[in-house]
Amino acid sequence: MRYIIVGGSAAAISAVESIRSLDHESRIDLFSDEETPLFSRVLLPYYVAEELSKPLLNFRTSDFFDEKMVTPHMGVKVTYVNPKDKTIKAADGKEYAFDKLLLATGGKAIVPPIPGIDKEGISTLKTMADAEKILNMKGKRAVVIGAGSIGVEACISLTRRGIKATLLEQLGQVMPTVFDAEAAAIVQQRIEDLGIEVITGEKALKFTGGKHVRSVVTDTRELPCDMVVLSVGVRPASELALQAGLTLGDMKGIRVDDCLMTSAQDIYAAGDVAETYDIARNTYFLNAIWPCAFEQGNIAGLNMAGQKTLYPGSYRRNSIGNFIGIPAISMGVTHSDACAIQSDEDEFREIRVRTKDSYKKLILKNGKIVGAILVGQTQKAGLMSILLRKQVYVADSIPMLMSDRLSFMDLLPILRRNADQFSEPEYKELMDTGL
Amino acid sequence: MKVLMVDKEKCTGCHQCELWCGTEIASTSKELARAINEEPQPVSRVYVEGKPFALQCRHCESAPCLDACPNGTMRRDPETGLIYVNEPTCIACWMCVMVCPFGIINPSSSLKVAIKCDRCRSMGYPICAEVCPTGAISLVERKDYRKKKF
Repeated sequence: MRYIIVGGSAAAISAVESIRSLDHESRIDLFSDEETPLFSRVLLPYYVAEELSKPLLNFRTSDFFDEKMVTPHMGVKVTYVNPKDKTIKAADGKEYAFDKLLLATGGKAIVPPIPGIDKEGISTLKTMADAEKILNMKGKRAVVIGAGSIGVEACISLTRRGIKATLLEQLGQVMPTVFDAEAAAIVQQRIEDLGIEVITGEKALKFTGGKHVRSVVTDTRELPCDMVVLSVGVRPASELALQAGLTLGDMKGIRVDDCLMTSAQDIYAAGDVAETYDIARNTYFLNAIWPCAFEQGNIAGLNMAGQKTLYPGSYRRNSIGNFIGIPAISMGVTHSDACAIQSDEDEFREIRVRTKDSYKKLILKNGKIVGAILVGQTQKAGLMSILLRKQVYVADSIPMLMSDRLSFMDLLPILRRNADQFSEPEYKELMDTGL
Repeated sequence: MKVLMVDKEKCTGCHQCELWCGTEIASTSKELARAINEEPQPVSRVYVEGKPFALQCRHCESAPCLDACPNGTMRRDPETGLIYVNEPTCIACWMCVMVCPFGIINPSSSLKVAIKCDRCRSMGYPICAEVCPTGAISLVERKDYRKKKF
């Protein structure tokens, strides 16, 4: 068996680990656009903040490829996939044959067509080269365009380096795909408390300056700056799949089946490039987040190595971490209208509890959790995550789920009546306690 | 591998395990009288909640926290199977908190690390089991439920 993996981040590395758990001998070739192996993209804002040095960005030790007997081709782009002959062509001019191929090509940062976008001092934050560019930028004032997770983290990272940062978001709130308006208001206040100016509902129209950017012009004002970070979103890097004639989804990601195989036999896709069934939305979706990439890489790898394993589906999960001083976690949909309607009888419910320092919201569809937001008190977020993943009926347990004293042991009655879905030993052994 | 089991008939909810875990494992002074006043407050890794029951990390066979950790801070000891936080590299992103089905990972804003039970892997025997006055907590072999029919 010959395996080829295109990509070098979470999904790719996870696939290597699961292939090697079953197949200790076959050749694995891994191709990555990045020169630097095994770094975690999630950590790039910490690198920009000068809080982590380059070696600390690794999520696996540097002997990983040796240990897993992988032939890495770092900085070597794959240029062509031939699904019929089962070969690929790489930028090193060589052709490589495969029996099983994984496309884990990830995403590309979107560069919006704003006049002046090619000026110096403007960068996205997606690759190691981007991070190094931002790290080496000189100046006192920065504008970060796009208040998603990366935008917020980039903004705080620059602030920690003593740069005066402004966060500009064209929609009406920060982190619009992660939080509802109420949670976003708490998060925004925290960001502002760090000395960051937050402007929502305004669009960047052009960049001024000569060779180097000097300001960002919006609908109503001009923001002087020495640097700009663009974080308006990512799109799937599905060029290879398109060239190979694989089926793409509505969001232009690679459409995969429940074994994470693409429309071509023996070609799999995982991670940010894969458009998978979304449990919460009840439709195919791109969930470009680290935990999904890791899960998908794992399952794609098992299937590639011959152990048929079904992927139950993806769902969005975001944690803002310690950037704003309080924990804030969100998963699934943020509003019930984000779910694909199956029938007129679908019933949606949103339940909220707000205290001075915390906020908790559950979104239910037909009595099952499809979304959760927790700000302030987040330790039990994983309980919501597992109930969402397993899609079990919880409508009769709302006061318990919304209580700030919720404990896993309180869920045992729910687990017991869905025992077939909670077959993992960790659940069974606690059910056996008789509580 | 072995797992901690709690006999619900014997667990009286006395919180001794929390107290000892918080003092012996979490505090810097290792003395109860001083630990109480420590800042930041020591965090116990065992939770006695609801109907009295001491809950610790279950060290899942397929552990979501391992998959979610973006920099390999959450690790599994290859010899014992125990999952632990390599605290020096923890960046406090709380991704493990987000996915832990048992809610036993504490996102400590003051310590800036994820805090969870490693079943006293460097001490040989878990302190919660050692100090339980009724012997409710014990170390038993994990059954293979997946081979069993329900």
